[in-house]
Amino acid sequence: MDSGLPPFFAYFEAAMSQLARLVDPMMLRVRNLEYDSWQTVYFQRSTVIATELILVYALQMFIDSAHGTSRRAAQAAAVSILLSPGLLIIDHIHFQYNGCMYGILIASLVLARHKSGLLSSGLVFAALLCMKHIYAYLAPAYFVFLLRTYCLSPKSIYRIQFFNCVKLGSGIAAILGLAFGPFAMKGQIPQILSRLFPFSRGLCHAYWAPNVWAMYSFVDRLLITVAPRVGLSVNQEALKSVTRGLVGDTSFAVLPEITPRICFALTLLFQAIPLTKLFLQPSWEAFIGAVTLCGYASFLFGWHVHEKAILLVIIPFSLIALRDRRHLSAFRPLAVAGHVSLFPLLFTPAEFPIKTVYTIFWLMLFLVMFDRLAPASNRQRFFLFDRFSTLYIAISIPLIVYCSLVHRIVFGNRYEFLPLMFMSSYTAVGVVGSWLGFMGVYFTS
Amino acid sequence: MAAPAHKPRRKVNKKTATFDAIAKPEALVRTPSFPLAAFLWPARGSVSQWEVLPLILMAVGLFRWAAGLWGYSGFQKPPMFGDYEAQRHWMEVTTQLPISQWYFHDLQWWGLDYPPLTAYHSWLLGKIGAIIDPTWFALFESRGSDDPTLKIFMRATVIVSEYLIYIPAAVIFVRRYSRLFGVAPWTAWVALVAILMQPATILIDHVHFQYNTVMLGFVLSSMSSMLAGRHMWAAVFFVAALGFKQMALYYAPAVFSFLLGSCIFPRINLGRFVVIAIATIISFAILILPIVLGALYDANRGIDSQPGLEGKHPPLPIFPQLADYLDTSAIYYPVVEQLVQMVHRVFPFARGLFEDKVANFWCAANVVIKLRDYPTVLLQRASLAATLAAIAPPNLILFFRPRKELLPYAFAATAWGFFMFSYQVHEKSALLPLLPMTILLAGKQGLGKEIRSWVGFANLLGAWTMFPLLQRVELRVPYAVLTFLWAYLLGLPPTSTGAYFQEGQSEWIQWITALVHGAFYALMLMWHGLEQFVLPPPSKPDLWVVANVGIGAAGFMLCYFWCLGKLVQESGILTRKTGQSADQKPKTQ
Repeated sequence: MDSGLPPFFAYFEAAMSQLARLVDPMMLRVRNLEYDSWQTVYFQRSTVIATELILVYALQMFIDSAHGTSRRAAQAAAVSILLSPGLLIIDHIHFQYNGCMYGILIASLVLARHKSGLLSSGLVFAALLCMKHIYAYLAPAYFVFLLRTYCLSPKSIYRIQFFNCVKLGSGIAAILGLAFGPFAMKGQIPQILSRLFPFSRGLCHAYWAPNVWAMYSFVDRLLITVAPRVGLSVNQEALKSVTRGLVGDTSFAVLPEITPRICFALTLLFQAIPLTKLFLQPSWEAFIGAVTLCGYASFLFGWHVHEKAILLVIIPFSLIALRDRRHLSAFRPLAVAGHVSLFPLLFTPAEFPIKTVYTIFWLMLFLVMFDRLAPASNRQRFFLFDRFSTLYIAISIPLIVYCSLVHRIVFGNRYEFLPLMFMSSYTAVGVVGSWLGFMGVYFTS
Repeated sequence: MAAPAHKPRRKVNKKTATFDAIAKPEALVRTPSFPLAAFLWPARGSVSQWEVLPLILMAVGLFRWAAGLWGYSGFQKPPMFGDYEAQRHWMEVTTQLPISQWYFHDLQWWGLDYPPLTAYHSWLLGKIGAIIDPTWFALFESRGSDDPTLKIFMRATVIVSEYLIYIPAAVIFVRRYSRLFGVAPWTAWVALVAILMQPATILIDHVHFQYNTVMLGFVLSSMSSMLAGRHMWAAVFFVAALGFKQMALYYAPAVFSFLLGSCIFPRINLGRFVVIAIATIISFAILILPIVLGALYDANRGIDSQPGLEGKHPPLPIFPQLADYLDTSAIYYPVVEQLVQMVHRVFPFARGLFEDKVANFWCAANVVIKLRDYPTVLLQRASLAATLAAIAPPNLILFFRPRKELLPYAFAATAWGFFMFSYQVHEKSALLPLLPMTILLAGKQGLGKEIRSWVGFANLLGAWTMFPLLQRVELRVPYAVLTFLWAYLLGLPPTSTGAYFQEGQSEWIQWITALVHGAFYALMLMWHGLEQFVLPPPSKPDLWVVANVGIGAAGFMLCYFWCLGKLVQESGILTRKTGQSADQKPKTQ
């Protein structure tokens, strides 16, 4: 099995395998890829559940850090994260260890709430980066926040707190050394880097994560039919692409090609905008908002983004979604779109009722509960935006029905890309809409 | 349907302030006393039922579907496979053969032995399934099929049938029954979740595979019609239950006593009696009508019910003397033959007192005295006498006091009587007494400690006696998860002792209940330990199963006596204080 994760995760797996040896030694033969005794399945599944206790602990930290009236909101948000359909679908059915990772992330975010926890917050995040590098997308927010609140004096940005800088710098260096040292000594760093950053893969991931590029591809597909009449040139090579974006690389027929460099520049740009505000007003809420917006930017504009990465936005956002109604109305379309976009990960008929019913259950339970708990904002709400989010949620139901049932009845196995394309465009609209809405909330609050 | 019953609800609430006063002590509870109440805690207050009910139904549905991902009975177990194959085979028989052959076709391979409604249900499901994949129900070829998509289809049919019949019935019953006592809606929701999460029902229907909830749903509909005072519909629904599964006969005496009693007490109501009688006859007629017409039509087309016999009429399997009076070549004879065959298939009189190991009186007694040494006729008589003795007290009470509040107790006591003493009982029949007992949770003080501890005891013991059945097909994990989950949700042993020692009850009753239940729970846990880790001695390979049967029978006997005792207590026949029931009379009318 190829490992596309950084060294600490390899150590984590090594620790797991020590346990596994006790359960069933056959599991660990390196060539045993298709091995699936029930002991293996039970063991693997129970390690996911056991490591999720870290998430439980982090959420308890989050609840404890909230005071007064916001405590109930914190409890609701914590339960919503723990019961998240995203974690259920990705971790417990699809199989990954995200619950544990997001637990560490939340612990790090909560530590940053108090001045005394800033250093440990940074170090925990560095360790997390060494477990799963996807969190590097959030690193700019950490960098700016720690720089402003920890390394620079709170009174003036021109006074540097040198001792704090040394502590943070040496701590991070020690963690990186611990993670990469053993591999560096064996000269495996280039191998690790090429495994971690796969720029050789395509722009869109197999199922088209609902980001800007999914909408871009959708527009391109539409233009193919329009282009001959308007007189645009069509790239014949892209037309021959049999998979049409279903699997692997997408190439565009009408619109200009997108390079990793463009993705990178756009991501950085849209991360930099909220970060300037964070630099000027470094409160904890602004920090969480900035983390969320960094997640948004990298998810929407990143290269080869996987659907799962939406949790990078949803989970930090959950922590502040209940601040007031304006935050909540930006959160709502994200909650719907983000979770619905995970549906294609599970495709067998047996899993279908679980993923849909559980997601609808979660959405209904928490959107209703959040609606009661979120206090009214002292600023004016965006009227149109609220309407947009209600309409948007309403559309999801016929769409899910069409994509999962009607399409197969009407077309059989033909046009298989259609439901996927509709789904990803629909969810992309929701994610982009909630991003724009939250940007507005972030800059006006 | 239920609209007229709850439309004027707001006004009623103001008028019947006395009932609010009854509900008050429950409403004043400040902290949840068991985990399920804690889970539903945020739903107190102003939350509308249109928000809570869908959430409850989705949550219980998820548990059912997830449990259904486990294997079913008889999976890849030739030669006969299991219950799953039986149900699938009936879909095959009913969709592929003319209706007159349904009850005759290859009886050695899971011949149809349920009443006609099951056959029609199988026919409908088979027709739907054949649209998806006709090979699932191909005659002969599909036997023992283990197609994974077929499994999903079959699981879905159980869930859909349940959501169309059992779950609406449970929701309506819980609403009516809780309103009878003025129980707050929130409390009724807690009870509804507890009822729908009953481990034994989920394990048997959704994991082991059967359609019991369809029959149980008709029974619940019948009971809630009784609560609403619609006696005719109570009869119709009960006929549907009987027509789906003959096991509903366990309740028949109670239904009969209540309906007849309510025609006589407090004053004789002949009109009601006639309506009930006619409705029953008509619904039975409708039930067998397709079979009758099918037999006539097929005979007319020259299709034989038993094709191999070349038109000769074999003797009737039961009541052979009928043939002396009837003309075997008459036009009605195929109908007689058909109905006699159906009765013969549905009621297997010829089988022994008990088949497998089941936790009832006979099987437990068999450990001490070898019952097989006695003549069958004697055993049959003994069984009949014991059953009658067990069901007479609850039914007499219900007959003389046909009050709605007593229905679950009387139904439970009657069903326990049948389960303990009747003929040909199956482990799965424990579902029948468990249902009326569990719905007590929605009634007066239903979530109080006394009822919760007894209902919990019966359900956990019931699931435990099904363990040998489940572990034969490797279903230990769903058994453990669902049973522990239910025990945890309701705050029952082994997860909590919170359901014992209620204030305001006599001290020694509390101690006895706690000690007896504690002893049973300890025995059940010990038994699981032994069964898992210790092999039984070679001379007695069935030792653990026999121990299970013995403990189970003793515990069920206690449940029978508890239901009977509560029935006596609630009916007030011993206290002679008729004034106590007078204030509830206006409500029940």
